Amino acid sequence: MTRLLYVQGVPIWRNVVALRWIVQIVSAVVVLSTIALFLLNVAREIEARDIPFGFTFLDRAAQIPIGEAVIPYDPSDSYLYGLLVAGLNTIRASVLGVILATAIGILIGVARLSPNWLLSRIALVYIEVFRNIPLIVQLLFWLTIVLTLPKVAEGYVIAESIFINNSGFYMPWFEAQDGFWPWALITAIGVALAVYAFHRLNRRETETGQQSYPLLAAAVIAIGLSLVALLILRPLAIDIPQVEGRFGRLQGGAQLSGSFLALLVGLVVYTSAFIAEIVRAGIQSVGKGQTEAARSVGLSGMLTLRHVTFPQALRVIIPPLISQFLNLTKNSSLAAAIGYPDLVSVANTMTQIAPAISLFMIVMVSYLSMSLLYSLIGNLYNRMIRFKAA
Amino acid sequence: MTARATPAPLPPATTVGLQGWLRQNLFSSWGNSVVTVVLAVVLAWVVVNLGAWVFVEADWTVIISRAPLYIVGLYPYESYWRLCICLLLISVLLGMSWRAWPNAARRFAFGFGAVMLFVGVFPHEMAPEHRALLLLNLPFIGLGYVLTPRPAETSPGRFEAMAGSALAPALERVAIFSTPRRMIIAALVALVLTMILILGIAGVPGLDPVNPQDLGGLMINLLLAFFGIVCSLPIGVGLALGRRSSLPILKVACVIFIEVIRGVPLITLLFMSRHILPLTFPEDLNIDRVYLAGITITIFSSAYMAENVRGGMAAVQAGQTEAAQALGLRGWQTTLLITLPQGLRNIIPAIVGQFISLFKDTSLVYFIGMLDLVEMGRVSVQGNQEFIDNGREVYLFIALVFWVFCFSMSFISRRIEGVLGVGRR
Repeated sequence: MTRLLYVQGVPIWRNVVALRWIVQIVSAVVVLSTIALFLLNVAREIEARDIPFGFTFLDRAAQIPIGEAVIPYDPSDSYLYGLLVAGLNTIRASVLGVILATAIGILIGVARLSPNWLLSRIALVYIEVFRNIPLIVQLLFWLTIVLTLPKVAEGYVIAESIFINNSGFYMPWFEAQDGFWPWALITAIGVALAVYAFHRLNRRETETGQQSYPLLAAAVIAIGLSLVALLILRPLAIDIPQVEGRFGRLQGGAQLSGSFLALLVGLVVYTSAFIAEIVRAGIQSVGKGQTEAARSVGLSGMLTLRHVTFPQALRVIIPPLISQFLNLTKNSSLAAAIGYPDLVSVANTMTQIAPAISLFMIVMVSYLSMSLLYSLIGNLYNRMIRFKAA
Repeated sequence: MTARATPAPLPPATTVGLQGWLRQNLFSSWGNSVVTVVLAVVLAWVVVNLGAWVFVEADWTVIISRAPLYIVGLYPYESYWRLCICLLLISVLLGMSWRAWPNAARRFAFGFGAVMLFVGVFPHEMAPEHRALLLLNLPFIGLGYVLTPRPAETSPGRFEAMAGSALAPALERVAIFSTPRRMIIAALVALVLTMILILGIAGVPGLDPVNPQDLGGLMINLLLAFFGIVCSLPIGVGLALGRRSSLPILKVACVIFIEVIRGVPLITLLFMSRHILPLTFPEDLNIDRVYLAGITITIFSSAYMAENVRGGMAAVQAGQTEAAQALGLRGWQTTLLITLPQGLRNIIPAIVGQFISLFKDTSLVYFIGMLDLVEMGRVSVQGNQEFIDNGREVYLFIALVFWVFCFSMSFISRRIEGVLGVGRR
């Protein structure tokens, strides 16, 4: 330290090393004391104004109803378990939303680039309409539409197994039997084999130019293995929803409540408009020369798309796409406005008895960990696609 | 010897005119034709049904009878004229922008004038003086146009001292900020006047103070988004500089702040601010939720703004910094005079984009009990037996209002990109 600060012949206010240290320390003190002051102030006021705070409430019985749950829930379960149920509801909406929004977004984005003028214009209108209207307005609109559907007794029935009415959407779903887990294991092995085969064949095609049909081979391996196991083990039974009881309640099958449907449709439509723009920009970012060069060395249209255009477009598409997934997850918190019991909505109900600040700290930490997960995936992808020094 | 006349080859398919256009764009191949026909049928079906619903079945009385609530909330009727004056100020500014940046602002001025004309003339219940004040917007746009001098095409010689260095073109480009100085002053004056007119001053006759809680409807969405963007710009610049700085604690603090705010939904921030922000003020100071919402939206927006600014500064070429260092500028001088101004210029379109998304996000303030446009609509449907079946009409109207604003802003943003030459070198 002495050698740093007292260089012979250089006064301290001209010594760059010393000055840098001083600035570092001063800035650190200012930043840390500001944060400390804020926290201490809030903590003192919480105590002074008798605002409930703490986390001991978490194992008490929540005693609030939660409309729908992925895992069994009862009001006598604890707050912590109630929050878990709500978090799973958020994850259910987000995962389904991400999958559907990506699929529809890619379709619309490709349609936007179609040589067919009408198709491209319709895609443009879709994008410009849905991304310029606040999501909450769209959610309220879809909820209104769902609620104006006919009652259960007069609802639409398709093939005696799909029911659409103002209480939601009911469809046949699978019920796991004894052989479910062995079958799931075999399917997983099949998928792993398929991925391996795809990579091997794809590399062979890229290196030798021989047509090797990697996608076809992968699909045959994965689906074939799974289907054979399905026929032998019979792991799944089909559960068809049925009208039961005097009040005509629907039982069995997969049930999607009205508010869940409205949330899902709203999230998917809103996010897919953004994803479509990302896909369009990504495909357009691949220079025309790339396609022309690929065609001139004799690649067919499909091969050009798979080996030249698509890999390069993906590089541009994936990072903003992941940020859209994160947006969709955060936007699912608007479920609170239409009565779907997601994390925010349930936490908000719980604040009537439990300490509000503690509850929402938990909610914020949950969302933060979800977004950290997304950025982790994004960073991993970025590392994977980095240009390697040849 | 008879020369057998070879039959003349058929002329190539025409590529010009209506027929050629149709063939190229709609019926270029067998598959394409099928797509066109199917889409046309579906489109016709949608248009016919939607048109029938909009013009025949839908009942729009709820919109017309509740229009003031949707636009200005519970703002006192006897003070409406003050809001009309605010609109006149906006008209003057629009007229001035039209002159200064004809490409970017002309259509916006036209659109604003058209809306004022429509609302002023449309037959519905409205006091004649308000009607007159709205119609007065049209001459006021012209007034603003006339008041502004034509912008100088170029300003040569302003940076002669630096001529020949790599910095001169950069400084010329930044100079676009200082040319219409008059406009910036006018905008600031209008901003202060608007705030005074909207909120009022106690004791001044005619300017009775308005309870901030009565601000609502579309007005509060616009005000919150506008002040959110304006206040978040300096904070965002500070956060971006902090994130780029070499001071470790400052850098880590900025990164944590930015990432936490960006990682959680706005709705949870609003909830927290309702419970935590009042704790940082004295207990007897009952701070209104309008200000709570304003502070929260500013904090929320500044984290996103910081990332925009950081991106804009990263896009400034390394040659600029090197040239500045070669000229002997210090570190902070390089940042403040070279990197930051060019970075800010890079992000003007991004700021408009952020304004659009912030404007849409302001519809979440219902969560802390404010009556913005969306909440007004919801209340007028769900809290009113008479209009309980008019949800579709109300939400479509609200969607249309938001859409018009957001779409026209994104249109302008593209125009500004053109004017500033962003993306061109």
